Amino acid sequence: MSNVSLLARPVSIERRGNLAMATEKSVRVRSYEDDVSIRVRAIESILSEKGIIDKGGVDEIIDFFEHKIGPRNGAKVVAKAWTDPQYRKWLLEDSTAAIASLGEEFVGLQGEHMKVMENTPEVHHLITCTLCSCYPWPTLGLPPMYFKSTSYRARCVKEPRAVLKEFGVELSDSTEVRVWDSNSELRYMVLPMRPEGTDGMSEEQLADIVTRDSMLGTEIPKV
Amino acid sequence: MPILTADKVADFFKNGAPVMLDEKVAPRFKSGDRIVGKNIHPKGHCRLPRYVRGKRGEIVEDHGVWIFADTNASGRDQKPQHLYTVIFTHEELWGADASPRDTVVMTLYDDHMDHA
Amino acid sequence: MDGVHELAGVDSNFGPIPIDPNEPLFFDEWERRVFGVTLSVAYAGLLNFDEFRFGIERMPAWQYFAARYYEKWAATLETNMIEKGVITPEELEARVNKLKKEG
Repeated sequence: MSNVSLLARPVSIERRGNLAMATEKSVRVRSYEDDVSIRVRAIESILSEKGIIDKGGVDEIIDFFEHKIGPRNGAKVVAKAWTDPQYRKWLLEDSTAAIASLGEEFVGLQGEHMKVMENTPEVHHLITCTLCSCYPWPTLGLPPMYFKSTSYRARCVKEPRAVLKEFGVELSDSTEVRVWDSNSELRYMVLPMRPEGTDGMSEEQLADIVTRDSMLGTEIPKV
Repeated sequence: MPILTADKVADFFKNGAPVMLDEKVAPRFKSGDRIVGKNIHPKGHCRLPRYVRGKRGEIVEDHGVWIFADTNASGRDQKPQHLYTVIFTHEELWGADASPRDTVVMTLYDDHMDHA
Repeated sequence: MDGVHELAGVDSNFGPIPIDPNEPLFFDEWERRVFGVTLSVAYAGLLNFDEFRFGIERMPAWQYFAARYYEKWAATLETNMIEKGVITPEELEARVNKLKKEG
């Protein structure tokens, strides 16, 4: 961990992972990126030889998150709440139990304890995590880059309206913006308002218009 | 030591790692109580964000007894205690120029707060 | 700890929020591996989520800001495995050097 190198080459924005605007040419930082792939290989190979991890298990859990987990589960929760008033009531009162009732993988790792908040004309909910990037994996999958970015994490709790504007969401001054900082182990999800013009739609059709971002409060679902 | 093999992945995910405990610990606060974030600066892990230390808020909900993340991060001392949803106004956090309508909500443990 | 990870309310120029509807879940293979290895180690009882986060918070400050997201996972995995005595620093450096030579 001791080699300090000059990070002289520009790193493209989409590859940064974390939008640090450390000025590439003037700031001396240890360029972990240069050998991180080797360090990860080294750790994996040592743990494997010690019998602590299993290659098949590592492969499977990666595959599980890439192919079986994502915001579809959350969208199903929202669509059900939009069509079933009893379910909506339950969801807002005991989110974890109501979400768990929809399927085996709807609660689990980083979604053991859930709270759902309903957007209304009076209150708009926005979710962030200022300390790290805690996120409800079972209902929404792994977090998008923006949720993990320094910019979003720094600004949401202080200037949420400016943040929302960058996402194209402009709210009336009379609407309260309520920002939820995921600072402990309770994970949040927004129940967006059902858009107009969706009266005849089935639960399945409704689930298709529920976006990941609308369950974080950074988007208003549209038909 | 349990080894994560491919056949155990789905159960591992489903079961998760719950941190809510079925233990009886007396709560220090109840819904509606006015609180102030403690002015503490521990060297270890701390889930009391700096921007609410010394700030006044209100308890909205008591979530029961949880493993205390701060002590669980070093040495795995669970120190079971209540966790609460707490609401702060933007004006309290960011001053008189802040939006009079907007709020910030988070969860704090018994050890993070005093009665205001 | 009062670390730079406490970003709430910081006005520094972090640039625009990186909104990209088409981003992949992982950009590189090592990101996949560090994700799977970290969760496997958690399953083995050698890492809890609080220890995981505390390891990230203790990264050198410049590194914290310059790191890609999964570099933070690599950093805390390394820190935790060494602190718990699962891997020794010498063992790790020897393996890194061996892999570098092999290319």
